[in-house]
Amino acid sequence: MTVIGTAAVVACSCTLFGMVEGLRHAQKISGDPLDLIILRPGADTETTSGFDRIKADELATLDGIARDENGVLLFAKEQLSIPVVERSNGSRANIIVRGVSPASAKLRPKFTIVEGRDFEPSKGECIVSKTLAKRFNGANLGGILRCGDKESYRVVGLFTAGGSAAESEVWVDIKDLGRNNQQESSVNCVQLRAAGTEELVKLKTTIENDTRFKLAAKRESDYFAAQTRSSTFLQFFGGLIAVFLTFGAMFAAANTMYSAVSTRTREIGTMRALGFGRMDVLICFLGESIILCAMGGALGLLATLPLTALSFGTLNFDTFTETTVNFRLGPTVMIVAVAMTAAMGILGGLFPAIRAVRLQVISALREV
Amino acid sequence: MADGLAIELRAVTKQYKRDEFTVPVLESLDLVVREGEFLALMGPSGSGKTTLLNLIAGLDYASSGEVIVHGQDLGRLSEGQITRWRANNVGFIFQLYNLIPVLTAFENVELPLLLTNLNRKRRRENVMTALRAVGLSEREDHYPRQLSGGQEQRVAIARAIVTDPYLLVADEPTGDLDRKSAEEILNLLEQLNSEFDKTIIMVTHDPIAAQKAHRLLHLDKGQLIGDVVQVPRLGAAS
Repeated sequence: MTVIGTAAVVACSCTLFGMVEGLRHAQKISGDPLDLIILRPGADTETTSGFDRIKADELATLDGIARDENGVLLFAKEQLSIPVVERSNGSRANIIVRGVSPASAKLRPKFTIVEGRDFEPSKGECIVSKTLAKRFNGANLGGILRCGDKESYRVVGLFTAGGSAAESEVWVDIKDLGRNNQQESSVNCVQLRAAGTEELVKLKTTIENDTRFKLAAKRESDYFAAQTRSSTFLQFFGGLIAVFLTFGAMFAAANTMYSAVSTRTREIGTMRALGFGRMDVLICFLGESIILCAMGGALGLLATLPLTALSFGTLNFDTFTETTVNFRLGPTVMIVAVAMTAAMGILGGLFPAIRAVRLQVISALREV
Repeated sequence: MADGLAIELRAVTKQYKRDEFTVPVLESLDLVVREGEFLALMGPSGSGKTTLLNLIAGLDYASSGEVIVHGQDLGRLSEGQITRWRANNVGFIFQLYNLIPVLTAFENVELPLLLTNLNRKRRRENVMTALRAVGLSEREDHYPRQLSGGQEQRVAIARAIVTDPYLLVADEPTGDLDRKSAEEILNLLEQLNSEFDKTIIMVTHDPIAAQKAHRLLHLDKGQLIGDVVQVPRLGAAS
């Protein structure tokens, strides 16, 4: 019972923490230290940002922006749309459709088209995150993704982006998106990569202070670090549930061990009569509790391993869109599992072990 | 055969506290047991037989008086010291065998040796010697549930003698056995006493079992009311 109870608790908690870890990982790897995201002043997110496309074009003329190996400027104007899309189970959710520029892919770490090809502008095509493709109707390769009542795109490629935030998005050409939404004259943001640390500082100063722009230039790493409300929410409730579950399992372990002490009273008396000391008995019962809980913990972790192949959707409280997150069984989750198992084993076994230790040899031997 | 004092009790009393009442169990008891004696303790329930056995075995302390076993005044030992003393000097045989059900016969017999510094090889040798002595060397891998009551008690005796203790205490060792098995166990105890010179104190209700002992003590209401030498030991000074 203790093994099964511990396994269930560890599995539940690891699932919760694996989700949180996946979300945090997505946000953590989304930002390159030399990347800047340009937003409207006062805007916290891309979805609430917006400024003139002409101003965005002028930003591209600034010095200090990096180029790729082909000499292409690592500068991308981007526009966002948040349509309602039907999930595979028939329910609906908001997702991010991102109108991108040619450099957008290079500004995302590990962005790769894994199936199909890249979209061609002006053909109503899109590419979809591979994890998102499984979760929404028409998002599979070759399907027609219907975004709200007016927009629809043919899916010509599936991409991965190393588990970053881009894996919750659909990408289309920025002009196609602007045309479909009658917003061809504006962008939501600009993403760019500075050529170096000094250039980054200069670019940031110019963009924020030059009267031509007066925009907010944020390091991407800072920007994504601020987008942690979703994970904080999950983490808080996940932690709370994990604590309650751990307490429950501790009582289960204690109950099992109390029962063991009760049914083995005569054995304890015999051991003590044979010359085993109180400390031997304490170690024996505490050790048994820890071993039982360790077995449960290992089982619980094993049970969560298959989840690493899964992705799940959660609401991003900043954009109110669905964020697709891959379950991650990282070091944090492992440490949490070990800590919970240790707490259950030690605290659950301690009091019954103390009870065993306090038994008088003669009365213990009289137990039938 | 050794002929020194194995056990000496001087004016031993034992009382238990029950709430606000003090219940006397043994009253000013004097007793001398010589080395190599096989002693049977008889008496009605509540007469103090098991309490006396527990005091001699170092499982309990006397309320007053002295309990000296193998030259050691047990009342002067702390709980930790008396625990170690028991491990080194006393072999226990219980009415219900008290084997650990999840351990094999071999492992049960090995238990007391885990408290010694013997290595695994020496422990194995000692365990097999003890199991051979009780005629169960073929059953070393059997669990208690796979043994008859008589065989279980023989394993318990092997456990009691494996450390070669100074004193064997047996509390109703045949109380849970049929007549044939009881006879085998009593013969085994007799053999341990005669061949290995073990001092044995046995509590029993069974007059047939008591006949095997050299000396029979009768207790009633915490007092010795009879002390009969049945079969004088060779070389014993009665």
